Amino acid sequence: MRAVIRHIAFAGAASLFCAGGATAQAVTPEDIFAIGERPTLNFYGAAGGIDTPSGEAMPDGQFAVGISSFGGITRTTLSFQATPRMSFSFRYAGIQDWNSAGFETYRDRSFDFRFLVNRESRFLPAVTVGLQDFAGTGIYAGEYIAATKTFEGTRLPGRIKLTGGLGWGRLGSVAGVSANRPSFVPGADGGKPAYDQWFRGKAAPFAALEWQVNDRLGLKAEYSSDAYVAESVDRDVFTRKSRFNFGAEYQASDRIRLGAYYLYGSEFGVNMQVQLNPKQPISPLKITPAAPIALRPSRAAQPQAWTTSWASNPAAPKVLRDALIPAMEAEGLTLTELKLEASTAEVRFRNDRYGATTVAVGRAARILAQSLPPSVETFRLVPVVNNLAQSAVVIKRSSLERLEFAPDAPRSLLSATRFDEASPKLIGGVRNDALYPDFAWSISPYVSTSYFDPDEPVRIDGGIKLDASFKPAPGWVIAGQLRHRLAGNISDSVRDSNSVLPRVRTDGLRYAQAADTVLQKLYVSKQWKGSDDIYARVSAGYFERMFGGVSAEVLWKPVTSRLALGVEANYVKQRDFDGRLGFQDYSVATGHVSAYYEFGDGYQGQLDVGRYLAGDVGATVTLSREFANGWRVGGFFTLTDVSSEEFGEGSFDKGINLTIPVSWFIGTPGKRTLSTSIRPIQRDGGARLSVPGRLYDQVRSGHKRGLSEQWSGIWE
Amino acid sequence: MVRDMGMIRIGSIASILSAFVLSACATVEPGSMVGTLVSLPAAIKADVARRREGIQPPVTVTPAMLAATKEAALQVNPLSLGGSNFLKRSVQRRDGQPGIVEVWRTSENQQLFLRGGVLIGSRGLGGDILSSDVSSALSAFVSGMSKQGQRRYVISRGDHASGDIVLQCSYRFMGLGETLVVDQVYRTQHFREQCKAPNISISNDYWVQPESGTVRKSRQWAGPTVGYFEMILLKG
Repeated sequence: MRAVIRHIAFAGAASLFCAGGATAQAVTPEDIFAIGERPTLNFYGAAGGIDTPSGEAMPDGQFAVGISSFGGITRTTLSFQATPRMSFSFRYAGIQDWNSAGFETYRDRSFDFRFLVNRESRFLPAVTVGLQDFAGTGIYAGEYIAATKTFEGTRLPGRIKLTGGLGWGRLGSVAGVSANRPSFVPGADGGKPAYDQWFRGKAAPFAALEWQVNDRLGLKAEYSSDAYVAESVDRDVFTRKSRFNFGAEYQASDRIRLGAYYLYGSEFGVNMQVQLNPKQPISPLKITPAAPIALRPSRAAQPQAWTTSWASNPAAPKVLRDALIPAMEAEGLTLTELKLEASTAEVRFRNDRYGATTVAVGRAARILAQSLPPSVETFRLVPVVNNLAQSAVVIKRSSLERLEFAPDAPRSLLSATRFDEASPKLIGGVRNDALYPDFAWSISPYVSTSYFDPDEPVRIDGGIKLDASFKPAPGWVIAGQLRHRLAGNISDSVRDSNSVLPRVRTDGLRYAQAADTVLQKLYVSKQWKGSDDIYARVSAGYFERMFGGVSAEVLWKPVTSRLALGVEANYVKQRDFDGRLGFQDYSVATGHVSAYYEFGDGYQGQLDVGRYLAGDVGATVTLSREFANGWRVGGFFTLTDVSSEEFGEGSFDKGINLTIPVSWFIGTPGKRTLSTSIRPIQRDGGARLSVPGRLYDQVRSGHKRGLSEQWSGIWE
Repeated sequence: MVRDMGMIRIGSIASILSAFVLSACATVEPGSMVGTLVSLPAAIKADVARRREGIQPPVTVTPAMLAATKEAALQVNPLSLGGSNFLKRSVQRRDGQPGIVEVWRTSENQQLFLRGGVLIGSRGLGGDILSSDVSSALSAFVSGMSKQGQRRYVISRGDHASGDIVLQCSYRFMGLGETLVVDQVYRTQHFREQCKAPNISISNDYWVQPESGTVRKSRQWAGPTVGYFEMILLKG
């Protein structure tokens, strides 16, 4: 596969110096930062043969999208290799010609979990244990243990993979019906882990053979243990005549693989596999380099240059501030405050350009080294986000000078750097007076989506939005957003809420139908630091399309701590459907106590305990992984005192969060991200208020762990 | 950030340098939606144009061009990408480690860091070498003898994370010879640095003037994204 990879890698690089195409080189990025061999995907969008799983895992962090179709069955699957051994998948399937229980086309959502028990070694195969559609009486419920061994350098060219496995549930269904395992019930609420069924009932073996003939072409054959009882015995979705499947796959590009297959002796199928790794940007980030650090004159040779007499001049701080402001502006930074002493400078600044705070800190350090009198040896660099001084990154100027070209410059500078608390106010500093009042506005397009309506799985609205914000003083913001829908089909749905709970979320359709022009949000907010470790926010207004009211939040987060604790209290009323200023009768006091924990290597956990919008009480668990470039993938679930019957379909709230920085695609620095939350179904239980400006994410990026995880940006 | 090398008509290196300085790139407000929309089609268009053009040959510098150049100049020919670029020296200093550090920059402020003529860093290329330990190579140049050693690169993954590559290297003296740079002939020693780590092999060549230790010409690996650069010191 090297040829394909090279082509992509150099095509991205060719714009750097000058025109040119791509030729082979001895080294590729994959050689250096080995992402590892990618397994091919099966019709379930997970590592495997055609319709059966394999024993392999994807490379760490790998993100895969699989879209497959055969016999009127279409599956779209998102898979994420969350750790080197654990992966999760979320799938949406549509089965045509179901024609029973009121469904013409049956649609179903499912979650998978896989665990790599053994990595493949010279003699031992890769072994994976998996739970397919593990939540509830899912149509794809099945468990397996699969082993895969790779053979290379045989008489045949290319590489051969042999998989053998044992399946239960659907994957053991050729063995017949099991008395101790209930069959799936279409339309049941489902959604709960069905651990009482896992690995129960009859088991059956499956096997697959994969021959990767060359860089592009792969051939597959398999023996499937899936009897497709629900589709071909109980119903006439398709006719299953054989246990054998065959296929050919073509690696169209580094990230895309296409396949054509003949399945179960009667059906042709296709499969598109897209695999990408957050660690490998589509375009490597290119940041305009900073000027090299200007060295101070030698103290021995020019002692007069090192005088500290300038510090007693009362005009010095303002003069230097005025010199620093344009220099920082040129690097995408805004100086907010400066404090100068003979040997120490503290600069507080906003980062307006870089996705990574470390890049901003590195730039600020070099600007100070360029501009300040030689006697200033200690730099305290304080990134500020909306009036919250995140931390003080303390770097010695002599370390910068000494280490800029050092053999291991990033690590050497990290070990010479200290992370201190930043005080709420900078006593004795001079402010940048030009920052307030500040008014900003923008007009831009917007897209909103609604997923998994059985009549139309993806509904989209699009239009334009006007954002405006006014900041009268540090920490204060008055902001609003007006939206006008130009086109879309979210309001075309005919599925009105059937919820027995207060309809805090399931009235989304009514909100969509009521008006095209709406006030999405309009609120006033003030945030500040109460002490070195305490951050606070109060807000009032229309926070989101459905709720408005008052909100207060306090967060405790020491700079070097992995743990943060927060409390948020809100009193909100449900807004009118028409998106104007009125409210409905429903109101609720809602709030949470939250604990945040950084496990290291980008893994983060969050626990929120409290009262939700429908008045239900419970807790939300969120686990996520953040990559150095800002990619973030997470999953969450909420359990409250609402019973699964009251909750309705899905039994409890759960979903996936995904954030991708735009710079990952285009290779130029920026703070813009694309974010989405995908829930299998949106119900009213476990629904949390959406308040603009929650504190934790504003604070974390500038604390020790957030900075350390992106540390090489300091020299970029 | 894309330049069309085919458009450049060569008068002198000085004029090339000034042309590069003047060829301002469109600046797009980073992070904005408009910026995204503007830069993406431009990048795609540039990529398509590049593929159509194919690899451009390196620029041939004439004696007249060299004579017209008054300041230090380094010609860099990216071997896999084609074309040439001419860099100015912006820093020359000692920092307590062996070898003089030089920073060479393009008109767009892309930078190459050399220590004693050996590449120890780059900025603005994407997938940059953040730093490199070249003490073994420099000591081989000084001794003029073949030897073994280690080389370490810290490479940016292009996303604020970095990775280390540690390679075992042999430094071989390939012989004395003459190196022609435009119309100037220099007596040089040819060193070959061959480095290996699992799945990786890198081979750099240096032509070093024995009297001064100046690396007059080299072919060096400049990172996983850009591959090998031929570097010719036109004026030191």
